[in-house]
Amino acid sequence: MKLVVNGKERLVAAGPLTPLLHVLREELGLVGAKAGCQHGSCGTCTVLIDGEPRRSCLTPVGAIEGASITTAEALGDPANLSVVQAAFDEHYAAQCGFCTPGMLLAATALIERKGGALERDEVVEALGGHYCRCTGYVKIVDAVVAASRGETGTRAPSTLEIRAAGS
Amino acid sequence: MALRRGRGIATIEYPTGMNQGGDPSQAWIKVKPDGHVDVFSGTVDVGQGSKTVHTQIAADMIGVPYDTVTMNNFDTDTSPVSFGTFASRGTFIDGNAIAVAAYRTRQRLLEVASRMMEVDPEDLEIADGDVAVHGAPERKVSVAEVAATASWTYGEMIAGSGAWMFPHVEPDKETGECEPHAAISYASCVADVEVDDETGEVRVTKLVQVYDVGRAINPTLVEGQIQGGAVMGLGLALLEESYPYYPELSHRGPEFGAYAVPGMADLPELKNVALEDPDPVGPFGAKAVGEMANNAQSPAIVAAIHDAVGVWVTELPARPERVLRALDESRQPRRDGRRVIYDEHLAVAAVSTAENRAEGAWRFPLVSE
Amino acid sequence: MKAVGASLPRYDGIDHVTARSRFVDDFSLPGMLWAKAFRSPVASARIVRLDTTRAEAMPGVHAVITHADVPNNVVGHQEVWGIAPDEPLLAEHEVRFVGQLIAVVAAETEAEALDAVQAIELELEERIPFLDVRNAWDAGQPQVTPDGNVFFYYPDQPQRQIRKGNVSEAFAAADVIVEGVYRPGAIEQAPAEPAAALAIPEPNGRVTIHSTSQALYYSMDITARHLRMPMGMLKFVGGTVGGGFGGKIDTKTEPITAVLALKTQRPVKWRHTREEEMLCSTTRAAWHVEIADAVTHDGWILGRKTLTLHDAGAYMMTSAYACSKHAFHLAGAYSIPAVAFNTFVVMTNHVPTAAMRGFGVTSASFAVETHMNRIAQVIGMDPWELRLKNANRVGDSSPSRVVYGNPSTVSTLLAAAEAADVELPPDERAMTNAKRSGALLPAHLVEQQREPVTHPLVWRDNHPALEGGV
Ligand code: FES
Ligand code: FES
Repeated sequence: MKLVVNGKERLVAAGPLTPLLHVLREELGLVGAKAGCQHGSCGTCTVLIDGEPRRSCLTPVGAIEGASITTAEALGDPANLSVVQAAFDEHYAAQCGFCTPGMLLAATALIERKGGALERDEVVEALGGHYCRCTGYVKIVDAVVAASRGETGTRAPSTLEIRAAGS
Repeated sequence: MALRRGRGIATIEYPTGMNQGGDPSQAWIKVKPDGHVDVFSGTVDVGQGSKTVHTQIAADMIGVPYDTVTMNNFDTDTSPVSFGTFASRGTFIDGNAIAVAAYRTRQRLLEVASRMMEVDPEDLEIADGDVAVHGAPERKVSVAEVAATASWTYGEMIAGSGAWMFPHVEPDKETGECEPHAAISYASCVADVEVDDETGEVRVTKLVQVYDVGRAINPTLVEGQIQGGAVMGLGLALLEESYPYYPELSHRGPEFGAYAVPGMADLPELKNVALEDPDPVGPFGAKAVGEMANNAQSPAIVAAIHDAVGVWVTELPARPERVLRALDESRQPRRDGRRVIYDEHLAVAAVSTAENRAEGAWRFPLVSE
Repeated sequence: MKAVGASLPRYDGIDHVTARSRFVDDFSLPGMLWAKAFRSPVASARIVRLDTTRAEAMPGVHAVITHADVPNNVVGHQEVWGIAPDEPLLAEHEVRFVGQLIAVVAAETEAEALDAVQAIELELEERIPFLDVRNAWDAGQPQVTPDGNVFFYYPDQPQRQIRKGNVSEAFAAADVIVEGVYRPGAIEQAPAEPAAALAIPEPNGRVTIHSTSQALYYSMDITARHLRMPMGMLKFVGGTVGGGFGGKIDTKTEPITAVLALKTQRPVKWRHTREEEMLCSTTRAAWHVEIADAVTHDGWILGRKTLTLHDAGAYMMTSAYACSKHAFHLAGAYSIPAVAFNTFVVMTNHVPTAAMRGFGVTSASFAVETHMNRIAQVIGMDPWELRLKNANRVGDSSPSRVVYGNPSTVSTLLAAAEAADVELPPDERAMTNAKRSGALLPAHLVEQQREPVTHPLVWRDNHPALEGGV
């Protein structure tokens, strides 16, 4: 069967019930989508299917024949980051980086769908199902809000207040 | 039903490096002929940002720009021992090993530069990638030139190695006496909660947290540890448990969702402050922050629940059923002379009966005995 | 420009946001086999029969290993600290927890490996598990290990104990004795990335192992001992890990894939499923902490007695370490001149417990701080005042007699009060970390004071001390 992956037509040998995550990682060598749970409960495997964020671990390839798939690899390269990627980097929104590809894609789709500045609540509502153990989510929400406002290009200042300890 | 608000505080301390020490780290550094610096240490970046922090330490110790340093921690053939990324030892112990290696690399650069410039090494300094004469900054050569001259003219290598360890100590068997760690960090946390006294649900609305980190080598990464730790601490206070009927075996569940972890929607307002009281032993005064960042929230939250609804939940997590049961039972401590005894029903004495213990091998006094 | 103190960009920031960071599961090799585990369905049982012949004959299967295939099956995670090894990599004659590894299959695909796992035959004689640490010394309880349910730090002393000052005097002098029990539960480390390993047999007899370990050398040492191979024959690759939180110190996937790779002479990858992470891999321990404090009406803590039972689970892992560390922190950030702490490692049939962020101390901090808040309630004192009074100061000493050189309990408290808009009285706001004197140095705190010592490994002028022949 055929899929359009990151703009290129690809022929897939796997059976129709094979999860898209498996096809991407093991057959097409695109390892950006991560296998955090393979049961739909963490969001690390999120990719865009015809522009919509979907959990690729729960998506049998047979159900999306001919669909257009976007993985994190296609968002932008180091010299040419997408707005969301730049915002994630500038806000230190990735710690271990394992949840990051899924977050980036979900955020990209959200910004596209809403078109315009997002409130924190909207980000939490849309990305709330994505698990991150490292960051406490603060900087991820910061980054998505900044990206939705196009506020990228400068490194976000730390909000940590630093004081000399009086002895 | 009513939403009741409460506030609680907690103050904690946490050691840096492995308890009882004896956990070495090593590093070595080489300088390429174009002045680029390669740092090798068998550390693991689990997301906390050790690659970044170690690169910063090496860059400043040598005197070269951050982006001319590579951090190589990817295999054990090229990188020397790090005991591991645990026990809040990455910045401090790995960092010290890297600092020592960098210091020695710097000494080698000065040595070679001194020959090139015919100036005593003592009169030279390195900053921003240049070796310059004290007080005469226009007399300088770049680190790249020094490295090239060492390689191509003198036929020498510029490198340095270092190690750091807080020596192992054994506690005294009777008293426990020993100095078990290299440094201690401190923190205080104020938690504000809302408790729904009908459902037992607790929502943390705000956490104010103060950490003495000695020196924040990268303030934003320190903040990342504090934010991540806060949410993890909230999880352990209110949500997470492997065995809901502990000590019974049944597990909460194999998936996120069944096993409740904090999500974006649980995020309270955070106010974070770092104090810098430089540690005499840590690299540039730094102490640990990573682990302690999830220790202060649970007691502060439990105190806030008490402040809100007047009950102490001392079995964690304080999930709604537990809060409701505590409200229902509204246990008061038993008073016995000077003694004020809380949680009697949970104590060893309540579960392991005196008869049992008499028959068994119990020979250690209970706290209350 | 100075790098230290600046919020420089993450070294790996661009790699993370372009999905170029490579985690263990992202590596694959031609001819690579997949491993899947066969695990114990029960918490305690004798293994009567284990038969892998049917599994071995399944399509795609290259090897099924059991304990007999591991050159040195029983290795400990604390051998470097002199704690005897107790945990088999693959179960031998018994299983002690749900999810314990019994056999592992390597096959061409993950699905084939999983099918073969289902064809393994196991006959068990189930036993009653031991679960409640509070019954550790009771007669007639099931025994988790042949040596009983309580670990012995010394042949004649099971507990790690801390003793300082005269505890009976302190309790005799108390106006109030406050007692409480604190039971933080077991939780999962739950990093986003499940544990994984990829072992590759090299032509020269070496084995390369891509590992999610938080400690490459530590895991390499454990793996080398399982394989009875010198460390020089192994190469661990890693250093970029999708979160650990203590859970990725447990070294199982590395030796298992190495044994399979050596046996099949093929690269072998094993990645935990989320179920395995949740149900079978180590957790943060559940703890049982009892505290009794001798307190005065005016808010001094004269003495403290504690009893800690640490639920180690079925094997030791790093529990002896954790329980010792716990003992050193049971006074919290306060100066208590008389203490008697007893901490015990209790073996149960829960999944073995191991490190998690704050290891050993998270439980102590929860117990101590909740107890402090209760004391404040009992004596009717503001919890800030109670803390500020008892907070350790320069020259105070810890339960194990470490002299505090630069404690900052007072500073962090005052800063927290300010940041949370708490109005403290002026005398409290004026407090510092400096040595005790006047009203802050009551008679009972005099004797515990010491002169702070300068550490020999000190930094000077922004340079590390270099003595010691590093
Ligand atoms: S891997 Fe698909 S949701 Fe977790
Ligand atoms: S950055 Fe590690 S899970 Fe999100």
